[in-house]
Amino acid sequence: MTGDASKAQEAFQDTVREAALRSARDEPPPDRLWFFRDARWRCIAVSEQGLQAEPGMLEETEISPAAPMQIEQLDPDQLAVWISAAPEPQRSALALFYLDEFSLREMLAVLEMKAGELSDLISSGRRQFQAWLDATTPYAEE
Amino acid sequence: MSLFQIRSNHSSLARCAPITEKPGTDRAMRVAIQRARRGKKAAPFAQQQAFDGAVAKLVRAIPVDAQVAEWFANENLIPLVKRRWKKILLNPAVLAIALAVAVIGGVFAYRVHEHLRDFPGADKARRLLSVATSTRSVLLDPLQTDAGALSDLFFMKHRLEHYDIPPEFADFRTLGSRVFDDDEVHGVAQIWVVEKRMQFFLFPAEKDPKDGSVTDFSDWRFVELEGWTGAVQQRNGVCFMAAIRGREKDLAPYLEKRKQ
Repeated sequence: MTGDASKAQEAFQDTVREAALRSARDEPPPDRLWFFRDARWRCIAVSEQGLQAEPGMLEETEISPAAPMQIEQLDPDQLAVWISAAPEPQRSALALFYLDEFSLREMLAVLEMKAGELSDLISSGRRQFQAWLDATTPYAEE
Repeated sequence: MSLFQIRSNHSSLARCAPITEKPGTDRAMRVAIQRARRGKKAAPFAQQQAFDGAVAKLVRAIPVDAQVAEWFANENLIPLVKRRWKKILLNPAVLAIALAVAVIGGVFAYRVHEHLRDFPGADKARRLLSVATSTRSVLLDPLQTDAGALSDLFFMKHRLEHYDIPPEFADFRTLGSRVFDDDEVHGVAQIWVVEKRMQFFLFPAEKDPKDGSVTDFSDWRFVELEGWTGAVQQRNGVCFMAAIRGREKDLAPYLEKRKQ
């Protein structure tokens, strides 16, 4: 989300601290999604201080049947960097979607957007990632 | 919603179909996935699922900082929303329910208590207490004598046998008396006395519905109704009730006189 583990860690700590303060005031967080919403906004605030990706500048390519093989060749950190470089709210949408921990309803609640918007963001993210894969990790058929 | 919109929605949902099947998936999403798997776009959808699966696998391989992993392993990190007792009890709905239950419980307990204290003839005694509350002195035949002397009158004039006044109340001066039949109680003798404007009632004891027997009791038993209290004793198949406007303690001094 931030492209920097220490910043993400700090944002998460702030969220937990805020939750503890709320609990002390007898106003505890209403549900577990509150943590993710709060942490997300903190991450966005932190990442806004750094360099910003320009939306709509990335090339897009249709998903290739060879994509799974191309992805296998990647280092996990490369993917983390690629997602963290995406513009908001696409970055949050891709991060939550590929964590594969949330239902659609939960993702929409955390991201505060509609299903159509999320669908478009993920769909374009796939095509952009495929374009990036083709550029960095071309698949050579044997 | 038009057919075109429905198809568009299904297509849109399919593009964010879950990577792994989850038990709580919405019905709309399940339908969208089924359509995508069986429709014309089955091949692109399969490619999409393979693509997402590969990315998710790579995401799971992203190294997580040991300290962060430890945080998430700690269940106490995230404070749970605990509904405190105080808050629950102050909820208006809970208060209303508690009040209603308390009232119902109180009424039930009172009824049980009343039932436990009841004795054969208690219903008749209560009915006659209601007569006492509404009786005016003009209804009775004026008669100034000792209450104990009325037993002979009831026997001679009305053929009411064993209508005896207990010794505790036999010396009380009377203002008037009458004998009447009530809808439910027949052969009722009513005496009005000077002392604290008490009223005495003599009436037939309640018979056992099975064998018609009557069980006398020499101790005093009490009934209450609308601010009146009656002390009842049963002898020779006849109940005597001394009724007074007040509580049990107001009758107690007269009942203890005999013991002394």
